[in-house]
Amino acid sequence: MAKSAAEWNAAPRFPATHYVDSRVYTDQTIFEEEKEKLFRPSWIIACHESELAQAYDYRLFTHPAGVPLIVIRGDDAKVRAFYNICPHRGNTILYDPAGNAKRMTCIFHQWSFDARGNCIDITRAEQGYQDRFCKEDAAMREVKCEVGYGGFAWVNLTDDCPSLREFIGPALDILEPYMQQPMELFHYHKAYVRTNFKLWHDTNSEFYHDFIHYFNRITGMLQPGYYDRKYTAFPNGHATVGSMQIQYDKYEGSKERAVGWPGMARGGWYMVDIFPGMTYNLRTSVLRIDTTIPLGPNELLIEFRGLGLKSDTPEERAERVFDHNMIWGPFGRNLHEDLLGVHGQGRAMRRGTDSRWVLQGREENSTIHDEVGMRHYYAEWSRRMGRPAYDPYREGEAESVRAAA
Amino acid sequence: MKTEQRQAIEELVYRSCLALDAGEYTTFLDLCDTDFRYTISTYSPEIRRDMVWLDHDRKGMETLFSNLPKHNSDHSPLTRHATVYTVDLAGQAANVVSALQVFRTQLDGGATELFAVGRFHDTVNLDGASPKLARRLVKLETRLLGYGYHIPF
Repeated sequence: MAKSAAEWNAAPRFPATHYVDSRVYTDQTIFEEEKEKLFRPSWIIACHESELAQAYDYRLFTHPAGVPLIVIRGDDAKVRAFYNICPHRGNTILYDPAGNAKRMTCIFHQWSFDARGNCIDITRAEQGYQDRFCKEDAAMREVKCEVGYGGFAWVNLTDDCPSLREFIGPALDILEPYMQQPMELFHYHKAYVRTNFKLWHDTNSEFYHDFIHYFNRITGMLQPGYYDRKYTAFPNGHATVGSMQIQYDKYEGSKERAVGWPGMARGGWYMVDIFPGMTYNLRTSVLRIDTTIPLGPNELLIEFRGLGLKSDTPEERAERVFDHNMIWGPFGRNLHEDLLGVHGQGRAMRRGTDSRWVLQGREENSTIHDEVGMRHYYAEWSRRMGRPAYDPYREGEAESVRAAA
Repeated sequence: MKTEQRQAIEELVYRSCLALDAGEYTTFLDLCDTDFRYTISTYSPEIRRDMVWLDHDRKGMETLFSNLPKHNSDHSPLTRHATVYTVDLAGQAANVVSALQVFRTQLDGGATELFAVGRFHDTVNLDGASPKLARRLVKLETRLLGYGYHIPF
């Protein structure tokens, strides 16, 4: 029996923790709040240390809160992060997305900075500023930066944030044994999708959508052990998914992943979702890292990284690249399907479509098709936002107050 | 090089585009040699590395095509526009460089957008009755491909 308008709009018959009001994906006010309350105080992956191999190597990163950053390795090998904003007239300091800059010079008026954020030259300083303003007054704005958890450079925009270790807690313990060897980036691309960032993180937080992937159905869902994989929730909104043995050779054109990963069981696959929008995805021979950069309520840029081991032989690296591309490259079998999925959600949920609810009601003892990963995320989202995801405008509360009156 | 030979090589490149545009994969593979290899690569200024995004031999391409119906894919058709720039003979083969633009047309409404630009770097075998593609390297300039695509360029 199809639903009337009233039935469509009525709250789902689940506990309020088991559904989300669709407007959390479309509202501009909520989006602006998310940048301040979720992204600004969180540790975010900016790049990998292998992108900054030499002293003065730098990498630009647009922080999800909107701030343009420079991540640069100093002459002391320490990785630091700064606003890519000249303290003089607010211009962009570095333009190319990566490079090597012993001296970072703003092209506008040639003010220069070193890799520790010090201003080292103000052109015609004495003539213009006399003794009223000097280089010490013109340092770059540094943001907190720590390298860890597989050699990633994490940044945090707030001065009084908890340490990276406190933020992550035990969430990445499951991957620690497999991140002891130095890794190296071999793949990077961005995808622009008209969807909300949380919908991408949702996709990484539930495996019920394996139904969209022929590859996953044939190599995973139809294989022993698939329904034993379990979710574990951690403080701060993070969650992990346990492993199973993926039968890669069941897909025609694929093959058993011979190159593997040190210490990991054959065909293993672990995922860790880091709040508010990053995912570690170690699938047998390749580590994939997703970083979401929301551009608007219904606009998303995702950074995809693929990593192997720094010690790889050319043959091993070629195997990893093949494995990566088979499912995760821009022409891969799975990534296109996942991106189509969230693109479709973005189409159906954009403002004015009368999309109303997103259900997260599956309970299967925290196993692979349970939606506990998403529920855990939205519990943290609600806590940080001060808005329940099931009723972000507290309309239900108002109704209950009115009813009580 | 004889004009007829150059024309035959150019026509091979153009026919390969027409076949892929039409989803006629058997026709495309008929234009390829038995030891055909297809690669998509691009350079990333962000990580300052060349990247390979797809790499298959002829068997791999056959499998990629035959698996397509099992997957969920964007069905917006692509239109490949190639212009052969240079043809250099090398014994019984020719090295061919072509400009490539790929357009994508939305099924609903028919709006067409530029999807990607790059170049074909083809090696064409000339020792048979007709020229055949022995190697196609697609060097992409475009790296932002939205939600991607399942069918090679």
